[in-house]
Amino acid sequence: MPTSYSSYFYPLLKKHTTESEMKWLDSIPKDNPNALMTAFVKAPRFLSKTIIQEELEYQNLIPNLPGFQVNHWNFVRLSRVWFLSLLVTLPKDELIEKIETLFDTAELNELVALFSSLPILPYPQVWLPRATDAVRSNMGFVFDAIALHNPFPYHEFPELAWNQLVLKTIFNEKPIQMIYGLLERNNQNLSIGLVSFVKERWSAGRDVPPDVWQLLVPYLSEGELYLVETLFKSQRKEDVIAASLICSQSELNSYQLLGTKHPKFPEEIKNGKWDWSKLGNNH
Amino acid sequence: MCEKQSDLTTNPSHFENQNKTNDTPTHMDLQWDEYKDKIKGFKFFDPHIHMVSRTTDDYQNMAQAGIVAVIEPAFWVGQPRTGLSSFKDYYSSLVGWERFRSSQFGIKHYCTIGLNSREANNERLAEEVMEILPLYIYKEGVVGVGEIGFDDQTELEEKYYRLQLELAKEAKLPVQIHTPHRDKKRGTERSMSIAIEHGLDPSWVIVDHNNEETVKSVLDQGFYAAFTIYPFTKMGNKRMVSIVEQYGAERIMINSSADWGISDPLAIPKTAALMVSRGIPHDVIRKVTYENAIEAFAKSGQIQVSDFELNTPSDPNEKFHGNSVLRGGQLPKWNQNSLYID
Ligand SMILES: [Zn+2]
Repeated sequence: MPTSYSSYFYPLLKKHTTESEMKWLDSIPKDNPNALMTAFVKAPRFLSKTIIQEELEYQNLIPNLPGFQVNHWNFVRLSRVWFLSLLVTLPKDELIEKIETLFDTAELNELVALFSSLPILPYPQVWLPRATDAVRSNMGFVFDAIALHNPFPYHEFPELAWNQLVLKTIFNEKPIQMIYGLLERNNQNLSIGLVSFVKERWSAGRDVPPDVWQLLVPYLSEGELYLVETLFKSQRKEDVIAASLICSQSELNSYQLLGTKHPKFPEEIKNGKWDWSKLGNNH
Repeated sequence: MCEKQSDLTTNPSHFENQNKTNDTPTHMDLQWDEYKDKIKGFKFFDPHIHMVSRTTDDYQNMAQAGIVAVIEPAFWVGQPRTGLSSFKDYYSSLVGWERFRSSQFGIKHYCTIGLNSREANNERLAEEVMEILPLYIYKEGVVGVGEIGFDDQTELEEKYYRLQLELAKEAKLPVQIHTPHRDKKRGTERSMSIAIEHGLDPSWVIVDHNNEETVKSVLDQGFYAAFTIYPFTKMGNKRMVSIVEQYGAERIMINSSADWGISDPLAIPKTAALMVSRGIPHDVIRKVTYENAIEAFAKSGQIQVSDFELNTPSDPNEKFHGNSVLRGGQLPKWNQNSLYID
């Protein structure tokens, strides 16, 4: 029988919700799937959307699920994921049918809860197509729910889908540092996509988020040296820092040599003033 | 493409001109641009509009004209749906994509959810739809069950109308009634008496598409009477003004029902401008174009007036909207008079 992580959510809900909210949560029959599904839909009628701001202990709520965190969720989302965690003990076919129905009928906030819950649902291969589809979503919240602070893509996405997720995050101007497992799944094909992204951006007269370059460092060849030369000429300070970071981390002589021609930031990099995380848009 | 043009015009969405004596559409004989200024500072709430059939241009013009919130009732999309999935997709678009799209233009979008009367006549499909309705009517921003009621006034229409009244009662939601184009007066009376028979409080029921023939009875029985300003029909906004003059503002509201037919998403601001120029007091205009709709549908507990009263402009550049209808960081308003499109 699949593991239910429901017991991890309950204390957190209890700690933050009002008495009447808790009373409603407790009143839902946990062994009745249809009641749980309706509760999933009804939740905003009974619960506030207060945001959970927790200390570090909850940044990783479930010990054997690294990367799964509920910080900055609101109570409705948390309670919805809790309802779903109670469904997982259903027989496989029934569970799949219920979850599929919820997906099919979901509005935006419900979709957010559904995608947030993927790491705690059994049968990940069943949800994979929906998850890769969500990356193509035109709804920002839905995209965020699957792409940011969610360990599901890291564990389940094939390389093509993973690369799509990273590229789309950059394209949507969202912080790549919030992608769980970003550096662990960095790969050559992603860098090919990124190089053409950079060229495309530049021909449209637009910038590239500076922390994106960290993904390229291991795969840059002599052929891309001109890109970094161009980057050094940028008016934006963070671009020049990024160029310096590339040169300081590259194993190629030509890049190291290029770095020495721009002596200002290498010094500050050595002193620890700059690294990739300081160039990211951490919001 | 071998159908005659006339075949296509015999099935309008909300109104039908039975005696073929077209009024000149009222929005043509006054120049809107000259009247716009009259409604500066007004806020409007359109409680009946089918944005799924409209463009982003409409959203832009609506926002500029002062429309701050809309209700989109679930209705017929012009051709019958052939399976449950298309109902699901349609309902999902009402609570999902369309709401999101509207938010990009600073307009708050609500909806009512129901099985429409035309499609109630397909019993097999109607049964399936009834099964999934509970997963929709409890959703955020669903302010009622609607639009339901009669079209051809068949037995099946009555069956699903009654079932949905019960659903609304259980969910504590207002009901939005679509009154039929043909035999309207009888259909309206029948809709109201069935609602009362099911124990609904008339102040929780909004009867749409009224005219001079139906308004008195609807108001006398305690229901809300909504009027649809739809061009090429008998209900133009000049006559709307007369109705307000005669019946006052209590429980009367105006909507556009704009949809895939020839219709006008600016029907409310235009009617308001006409009312201003006819000397109707501002507080009366505000009631019939804004407040009454809120009063009626807020009974759902789903309308936060602060969401559209605070004048907080939408910010399409917010990070979570990163990928939106505003592709590649477009602005919600661009200069349509410019030759350059960039
Ligand atoms: Zn309608």
